[in-house]
Amino acid sequence: MSKEFIDHRFHITRKHFLGKLGLGLGSVALGSLLIPRLFDGEDAGQESGFVPLPHFAPKAKRVIYLFQNGAPSQLESFDYKPMLNKMRGEELPASIRMGQRLTGMTSGQKKFPLIGSHFQFAQHGQSGAWVSELFPHIAGLVDDMCIVKSMHTEAINHDPALTFMQTGAQQGNRPSMGAWLSYGLGSENKNLPAFCVLLSRGRGNGQGVYSKLWTNGFLDSIHQGVQFSSSEERVLYLKDPSGRDRQETRTMLDQLAKLNDKSYEEFGDPEIQTRIQQYEMAYRMQTAVPELTDLTKEPDSTVKMYGADCLVPGTYAANCLLARKLSESGVRFVQLYHQGWDQHGNLVGEMPLQAQDVDRPTAALIRDLKQRGLLDETLVIWGGEFGRTNYCQGDLSTTNYGRDHHPRCFTIWMAGGGVKPGTVYGESDEFGYNIIRDPVHVNDFHATALHLLGLNHEQLNFKHLGRRYRLTDVAGKVIPGLIA
Amino acid sequence: MLFGVVKDIVIRFIFFLQALLLCFWWFEEHIDLPIWIRVIGRLHPAVLHLPIGILVFAIFVLLLRSELKKRAFRNIMMMVLLFASLTASITALLGFFLSHQSDYGADWLQQHRLSGILLSILCYLLLIGFERTQRTDTFFYATGGLAIVTVLFAGHTGGYLTHGQNFIFAPISDPRLHTVSNGSVYQVAILPLLERKCISCHNESKSKGKLIMTDLDKFRHGGKKGKEWVEGAPDKSRMVRYLHLPMKDEDHMPPEGKPQLTSSEIRLIELWIQRGPDFSTKVDDLNDGDSLKILSKMIGGQVSVAPVILYNDIRGASATTVAELNTPFCSVFPLYRDSPALQADFFIQQSYRPEQLSRLKAVADQLVVLNMNQMPVSDQDLETIGNFHRLEKLNLSFSKITGSGFKGWNGFGHLRSVALTGTAVTAENIKPLLAMPALEEVFMANTSINEAQRKQLAKLYPKVRLVVNDFVDNQTLKLSAPAILAEGLVSKGQLVPIRSAMPGVTIRYTLDGSAPDSIGSVIYDKPLSVSRPTFVRAIACKPGWYCSAVTEATIFPEGLHPVSATLLSSPDKQYPGEGGATLINGRKGFLDVYREPSWLGYREQPMEALFDFGEKSKPVSSMVVSYAHNLGSYIFPPAEIEVYAGASVDKLDRLVITKPRQPQKSEPTRMGILSVPLKSASHRYYKLVLKPVAKLPLWHSGKGSKGWVMVDEVFFY
Repeated sequence: MSKEFIDHRFHITRKHFLGKLGLGLGSVALGSLLIPRLFDGEDAGQESGFVPLPHFAPKAKRVIYLFQNGAPSQLESFDYKPMLNKMRGEELPASIRMGQRLTGMTSGQKKFPLIGSHFQFAQHGQSGAWVSELFPHIAGLVDDMCIVKSMHTEAINHDPALTFMQTGAQQGNRPSMGAWLSYGLGSENKNLPAFCVLLSRGRGNGQGVYSKLWTNGFLDSIHQGVQFSSSEERVLYLKDPSGRDRQETRTMLDQLAKLNDKSYEEFGDPEIQTRIQQYEMAYRMQTAVPELTDLTKEPDSTVKMYGADCLVPGTYAANCLLARKLSESGVRFVQLYHQGWDQHGNLVGEMPLQAQDVDRPTAALIRDLKQRGLLDETLVIWGGEFGRTNYCQGDLSTTNYGRDHHPRCFTIWMAGGGVKPGTVYGESDEFGYNIIRDPVHVNDFHATALHLLGLNHEQLNFKHLGRRYRLTDVAGKVIPGLIA
Repeated sequence: MLFGVVKDIVIRFIFFLQALLLCFWWFEEHIDLPIWIRVIGRLHPAVLHLPIGILVFAIFVLLLRSELKKRAFRNIMMMVLLFASLTASITALLGFFLSHQSDYGADWLQQHRLSGILLSILCYLLLIGFERTQRTDTFFYATGGLAIVTVLFAGHTGGYLTHGQNFIFAPISDPRLHTVSNGSVYQVAILPLLERKCISCHNESKSKGKLIMTDLDKFRHGGKKGKEWVEGAPDKSRMVRYLHLPMKDEDHMPPEGKPQLTSSEIRLIELWIQRGPDFSTKVDDLNDGDSLKILSKMIGGQVSVAPVILYNDIRGASATTVAELNTPFCSVFPLYRDSPALQADFFIQQSYRPEQLSRLKAVADQLVVLNMNQMPVSDQDLETIGNFHRLEKLNLSFSKITGSGFKGWNGFGHLRSVALTGTAVTAENIKPLLAMPALEEVFMANTSINEAQRKQLAKLYPKVRLVVNDFVDNQTLKLSAPAILAEGLVSKGQLVPIRSAMPGVTIRYTLDGSAPDSIGSVIYDKPLSVSRPTFVRAIACKPGWYCSAVTEATIFPEGLHPVSATLLSSPDKQYPGEGGATLINGRKGFLDVYREPSWLGYREQPMEALFDFGEKSKPVSSMVVSYAHNLGSYIFPPAEIEVYAGASVDKLDRLVITKPRQPQKSEPTRMGILSVPLKSASHRYYKLVLKPVAKLPLWHSGKGSKGWVMVDEVFFY
């Protein structure tokens, strides 16, 4: 018992100590009877009795988020606006723009010439959703997809918009979506981190990605996203050094754990326990990761489905294949970032290259999950951080154009994991500028995604700096129209 | 005497309790209660019966007063009041603690709390009054009567809190009887919502803001500020605006403390106003994807957004049993919080043992999902799985089963979904599985079951969806380029491997700078051994695929090392490198980053460099200049190369003078190699002269201007 008392004293943070000290008149009256947090050795911000499990029966168990970094144009992909082709070169009507803000890149522009898609659109599947010719493989899956044409966000530049999409706040000090899920649902497979991050670079104008996007924020560092390398060795420093075998590693870790246990007994710092666990996980990852990253056992049909690049580490195709492997191995949240979607100019030249890299592997991932019976429990999300303007950035030439950032309306799509398949949700106006039906804010999207995973976004919270934070913070509502 | 002392102490204690109670009530927002207090708070429902009973007893004492002696009456009454006051104060205090831990409906809670505190104070006043006067005067009867009324009220509101407002009459007035199965959106969803959250203040008898929602015409007419909505414009409608106002705002509806509308309910009101507001359209007439329909059904109580799957028939396993089953290679966990149903996942092929599966028999009654994807599960193990009779979902993809073990299965009354993708199951073997009563889907891509067999099975078992991969692709794809696993400087004897991740490809390569092709070029069979600087170009080919793009790399094997190198002419000021040492320091430059000290740049005058091999020079048979071939940046191969050699600096003989091939058109940027063969001989000194192009050719955009020569290294072999 005495150890618990010592323990417990170390678990009180300065804030809590001061907080408890200032309990007010009531505690003065009750005097020394109070021994605060006696039965409560939980992490500081966690509610007592917190268990990392869904609040109710979930539809999705895992997420694969195919983030299209740089913001792909909705007008050349899923939001078909023939009016823009008809009015090519004409000025964007003021009644549509309504004086809404522009980025610094086009605010100096004297003219805002409308420009329609250079690429042809056609309807697909039983749902009859419109998809452009750039995405022939994804188009074949529209009956599995839930396309949201009425997304809107608050930020107009990449960094804040990306951060908002990933963490629910623009400033970048909050936990990422994957970290929240790791916190709320826990790890399914104890041999792998619950949140993994895979990066790839496209052939278009790119924007950076940075580790704050997969941060654990104020949550325990266990929930941080683990970035996989693009090199042949997907997880760095996982191999034993040459000349040391596995048994020696085991012995070394056991000895190290003993030392750590000792200092834990002395100081009672819970981070020491976390560290011991991390070493153990890394040890188990030494077996788990080679099994995962071994692509030689993939059948030829799979390789063909994803395209030959899926065997070249660091490509989007390889990341899609690895995402499937991680996800089926119980990783809660696999976050991909594919760069190169920022077509301010030369959209006609760059977008086909981007689409080519992404189309086949994305469709393959969904088919692959489907044939394995995993699609119904895996939520796949595809989309960028905002949309692109319906007018041309810079001068409109006869053969080429570019589009600026547009946060007021854009398209993302989801598949599997309990979303309503074969759905097109929401609608933009004829100019693809404003939303006219069923808007979905980023917070709503987060709330809905959490709901699919069995989490009530209002209950999944963590107390930090004196108040409770959520992924959706103080907003967000579940959108029933997206749920099957 | 003793009674008197105890009485005084107790009265003081009761006074302290009153003060504490008022403090708590007043400073409520600043108080953070520890957990153990919550336990005490939960005694409130037990203790609360004491003051009620004792006050009733006080009435009896009054009624029997004539039967008692004066002194006896006073003492009995004193004791009764003392006890009543003490228990009333404690009850109120405990109630206060309790109110802090649960989400009681806020509207009644406040009244209940106030009445509790009031009762506590009334009892205290009653006690003090009687203690001072020892008489049952007007004050006594007034406070006593008031206390009785308060206790009734407090009890009543407390009952509301625990059992709900309509507890007693609920059996004969179920509100759900009002819901209309195929009514309008208004009838099905809006009206019940208003009844739940608004009508208590906006009805005929209590019409706050003069708004009456119970009568349709009066509702349409609006309140004292006029109509509550603007047709089709929820954003401009007062009703919606009030819902969205911050809680602290005076106009926020419903007022603080009352049950609030959920975000979906607010959305419902908005959509409803957007469509009119619509009093007539029937819910069933709306499109299936329509948010208004979905919300109406959800809020009207017909469907729930929350996917509630109840496992009423399952008795939960003990937490210790579940904890014991968890290993790093087998996770067993509830499907969701407080769910008795369990899921088990297996991970890491090489750690799988059939015994681990057998151990799950301990939770056979609870196991609903079993995931053995990729595990080397055998047909014998299927027998074990046969014990898990409550399974709904089973994943055996890429396991080692053939399906012969399905024969022994029976009693899977819940099994819905089975994944057998990538296994060796046969059409015959899975028949017993497909006959399972609740089975809905079987995933069987990449199995030996062919299309004809599948169609036959589908006919035999029409209820079951047999899922295969319907992906057909006749398109011929391009292979990915192979990787040359060495670049730049390599040490002596180091081999250069070329690799393609794709199994079964043929890699072909060239070393002479020509483009490799799928027929004539050399087939790669082992890592290349390179003794001279070489430009390697390779492609990958495979039947059924297009050959890959060309991948290329320039390899510089380590050569002979001069002792020193000196520049005899100074380089351009912008690209001084590190003097002569630049040429022999073994550091290659990056193309496009010429200001970096690996490069020497010349334009106005030829580069002249002297290399000293010292006393013990070895025979040199060739000299290789590594230069930048970057035509777009005016960087060309030198127009002329001269090599001199000799035993002393003053006496050098010219060995070679040569004019390298000049590009005739634009070429891609690369690391260039200029090889100068020499007659094998040992000289101490070598001098190299590189003359930049004096006039760029006519086809070049910079025609007529001087060309650059950029050199990063010179090799001797």
